[in-house]
Amino acid sequence: MSLSSAGDAGALVAPASVSLDRTKTRRRAAWRRRRLVLLLMSPWIIGFSVFFGYPLAMSVYLSFTHYDLLSPPRWIGFANYHYLFNVDPQVWTAVKNTLWFIAIAVPLQVLFAFGIALMLARARRGVGVFRTIFYLPALAPPVAATLGFVYILNPATGPVNTILGHLGIEGPLWFQDPAWSKPSLTLLAMWGVGNTMIIFLAAILDAPRQLYESAELDGAGPLQRMRWVTLPSISPVILFAVILGVIGGLQYFTQAYVAAGVAAGQASQAADVSAVNLGYPLDSTLFYPVLLYEHGFTDFQMGYASALAVLLLGVSFAVTLVIVVNSRKWVHYGGMAR
Amino acid sequence: MTTVDTPAPATFVRRKPPARVRRRRFLLSVANHSLLIAASVAFLLPFFFIVMTSLMTNDQALSPKIWPHPFAWHNYVDVFTKAPLWRWTLNTLLYSTLATLGVLVSSIPVAYALARLRWRGSQIAFMLVLIALMLPPQVTVVPLYVMWAKLGLVGTLWPVIIPNWLGDAFSIFLLRQFFLTIPEEYLDAARVDGCGELRVLFTVVVRLAKPAIAAVALFSFLYTFNDFFLPLLYVGENSNNWVLSIGLSEFRSLHQVEWNLTMAATLLVMAPVIILFFLAQKAFVEGVTLTGVKG
Amino acid sequence: MRRMAVILALLAAVAIGAYSAAGAVASRTAGPTNLTIWVGWSAGTHELKVFKSLVDEYNASQKAIHVNVVGDIVDTKIVAAIRSGTAPDIVSSFNSYNVGNYCGTGGWIDLAPYLKKDKISPSTFPAATRYYTQYGGTQCALPLLADDYGLYYNTAMFKKAGIAHPPRTISELTADAKKLTVRNPDGSIKVAGLDPFIGFYENVPERWGQQFGVQWLDKTGHSILSKDPSWTKLFTWQKSLIDWYGYKNLVKFQAGLGDEFSASNAFEAGKVAMNLDGEWRVAFIADEKPSLGYGTAPMSVDDAKPSLYGSGYINGTIIGIPKGGKHQDQAWQVVKYLTTNTHFLAEFSNGIRNVPTTTASLKSPEIKPDKHFATFLTIFGNPKSWTSPITASGVAYTNLVQNFFTKWQAGQVSDLHAGLVQLDKQLDAQVAQAKGGGVP
Repeated sequence: MSLSSAGDAGALVAPASVSLDRTKTRRRAAWRRRRLVLLLMSPWIIGFSVFFGYPLAMSVYLSFTHYDLLSPPRWIGFANYHYLFNVDPQVWTAVKNTLWFIAIAVPLQVLFAFGIALMLARARRGVGVFRTIFYLPALAPPVAATLGFVYILNPATGPVNTILGHLGIEGPLWFQDPAWSKPSLTLLAMWGVGNTMIIFLAAILDAPRQLYESAELDGAGPLQRMRWVTLPSISPVILFAVILGVIGGLQYFTQAYVAAGVAAGQASQAADVSAVNLGYPLDSTLFYPVLLYEHGFTDFQMGYASALAVLLLGVSFAVTLVIVVNSRKWVHYGGMAR
Repeated sequence: MTTVDTPAPATFVRRKPPARVRRRRFLLSVANHSLLIAASVAFLLPFFFIVMTSLMTNDQALSPKIWPHPFAWHNYVDVFTKAPLWRWTLNTLLYSTLATLGVLVSSIPVAYALARLRWRGSQIAFMLVLIALMLPPQVTVVPLYVMWAKLGLVGTLWPVIIPNWLGDAFSIFLLRQFFLTIPEEYLDAARVDGCGELRVLFTVVVRLAKPAIAAVALFSFLYTFNDFFLPLLYVGENSNNWVLSIGLSEFRSLHQVEWNLTMAATLLVMAPVIILFFLAQKAFVEGVTLTGVKG
Repeated sequence: MRRMAVILALLAAVAIGAYSAAGAVASRTAGPTNLTIWVGWSAGTHELKVFKSLVDEYNASQKAIHVNVVGDIVDTKIVAAIRSGTAPDIVSSFNSYNVGNYCGTGGWIDLAPYLKKDKISPSTFPAATRYYTQYGGTQCALPLLADDYGLYYNTAMFKKAGIAHPPRTISELTADAKKLTVRNPDGSIKVAGLDPFIGFYENVPERWGQQFGVQWLDKTGHSILSKDPSWTKLFTWQKSLIDWYGYKNLVKFQAGLGDEFSASNAFEAGKVAMNLDGEWRVAFIADEKPSLGYGTAPMSVDDAKPSLYGSGYINGTIIGIPKGGKHQDQAWQVVKYLTTNTHFLAEFSNGIRNVPTTTASLKSPEIKPDKHFATFLTIFGNPKSWTSPITASGVAYTNLVQNFFTKWQAGQVSDLHAGLVQLDKQLDAQVAQAKGGGVP
């Protein structure tokens, strides 16, 4: 019984009064259905308009104003954008940092999750225990995990460098070195790939056996089987993981914020100049969302922060579009409801 | 996942493969297992270090020593006197519970409408849900903050709780994908019995979708439990309403507390989630799988 | 199921209601007006305790006003509260730099009419403190105890290294720092004579700048870091000392130090022999490590400017009334008491060893003499002691300079002069943007 729009069965011929009744009932049914849909969708409609549509439009508007929340917004035209593209010394660093994360940390995470899932799929015994071990870190609250990592990667007193020292290797400065801070954050991200790993594991185990067997019969080696059977059949999951990773990268805030603050504060808690710590060390962890937060909520330049937000919106759209369009080439949807 | 009955495959009897092949398979398996063990150790090491540090004294935590000497068990008690952990926990639970409830109440009807009712605009609406999913929250955060400030709710947790009562994109997406897989026959049977659409939803669909709903509830709870950015924004200046994530990040500066207590607090914050996991392991894994497979 | 949800929701509402009431700003009970004051002093140190006990004294002394104290406040919280309309009756901040923000936007109300009404003359407050409590013609804050900075040195280490007296010039300071540094056999630093990193504890550009007698702005209010040779001298000196230590060695060393305001403070723990620090450190040492043998002196100055010796950087805690408050007149009574009452200022100064900020309280007999603290009183009285410019960007101004310093320290700036020229441009643009979105 589909509730498609009335009128498709209107070809029936009937006496005038009956057809009038029928149209009336149909119209009433249609009206009732519309009311039902409205009722069911109402939370989302309100939510979308208030928490998505309205702020998006407002952000664009505010980006053309000077607004510090105390006085009403003052229209200043393109001045914010001029400052953004030509003057702000930190914007391009922030963009580069976020792009670095998307281009390097996200693929690494996906690869790592895939690799571990592959190993787990091959293993016979103790899979449950291993699976738990690999999943646990993903449960750790991001703030807690970051604090832990900053501590254990302390270049002077942290256990990691101490052990490396015993092995005769001089450990890097980790979160204190601008060249190592993003890699350190990447390590932290890779520690938490549990979710992605489980999804990969399920997908790998789900791959149709017949394909493997026929490939084997055809003489395909393990690498070829991987290339032609495993990867294609889990390609929707790879796409899913990549998209989630990229979305996460575009919003990456918590770990960068906490790590910078803690690493900087490890010795240099100068009286309350906390804004200097964002991006510590040397702006290497200054990701775009962190910069936006700084300008909007510590400097309270809300007009300028809106300009930054509009730029982020554009970039997010562009990046997701590129990925989705690109995906048509390599993603195979075998029998999945789309 | 419905399985179709196929006749027993032309069972080609697998003879035991030659010893050479068996040995190679065995070696591969050993190599695989050793890699797994190595990786597990690497994954567990951070936990180990955190636990060790949490049991050290002040000065020891600042030194390169790895093993505590003596074991400062009372750190775990000290943590509670140094910071209002209980209040933070209460705030966090309040937030997570209310938010999760709201997500369930608002997302199930929406997902149902998108999945099982055909109406003009449902495709567009679903597209919009997907778009909302992909957008970083930082894009909408400035005007929303202004709005909440004008409503006088900045400093409370309401700005982070209320949006969850008006639909959550990820949950809607997940539930919709799941609802799509419910065979029409079940719904028809209920309709024939005289159920209105709403009754169908609440009685049949919800019961059938229990695993998906459990997954959504679990993920919402986890996500809000760990949420940092939005609470920081709205409640950061009012330490009475801090949630655990904010409290933990501020822990060190709060009372100039040292690393050993910070690590103890870190573990205490991690603990409830990990315990929850062990209690609901099956639901967790099923839920995660669901997101990926249906996604 | 539905019933449970309703019950849960009700419970939640009650809980949150109870919470907000508990943390509420003013309870409308009959009796004294309840006012709330936000201060930066932390409950983890003795400072908040001292303040609270003195406020209790005030509360007991009169029946009209009861003041509640909330500590651990930082500027972002104050700004956020004012912007969202939830600000308390009185606020206080450690960052006098932000006066540019507070006065300029009207976030803190102009106190001049109150001062005039109560006939408090400007000369009640020392000149430097008047400077950093007003901006753009508005006196939106008053000083509540000031800070100045000088040299702390470990007397035992001085004796061991054979240093007879604290260094007066930068070259003496450098030589002593090198003498006092102890290295581990593997080359890493065990004890640093002086940690020259900008960003370490109280080492910020403006404080060292003071010792080199730098100029920040020209007469038109434009930034002149590239034009004033003293800045270049400061940058060059600082880098040379860092290079002597080894940048990486210093970073590693610093990462292993304790928090500035904890009992493991690097100077108190004997990890640095000399340190630029504020006058409050005297009270901290007395509270946390009374056995430490140390001395205080004005910080060394540029060899070319010996007359600067004896001066130091000044800033301080500021206090004001946020706009939108409902009890501004009573709030003023409290502010007046806290900023001009000699007894209160003297006792508070004794308690946290900050510098009293009225000319009367500076001379008050209630001040407990302390030979370490006396150094800082002298520094405060030195006519060459001054503070950094107040601009519309507030603390973001000096943060930008500090950012440049950290890049310079790491060796990422190859041409100092070119870098400074660009920094000047950025500083001017930042101020223009803060003022109203125009870019020069």
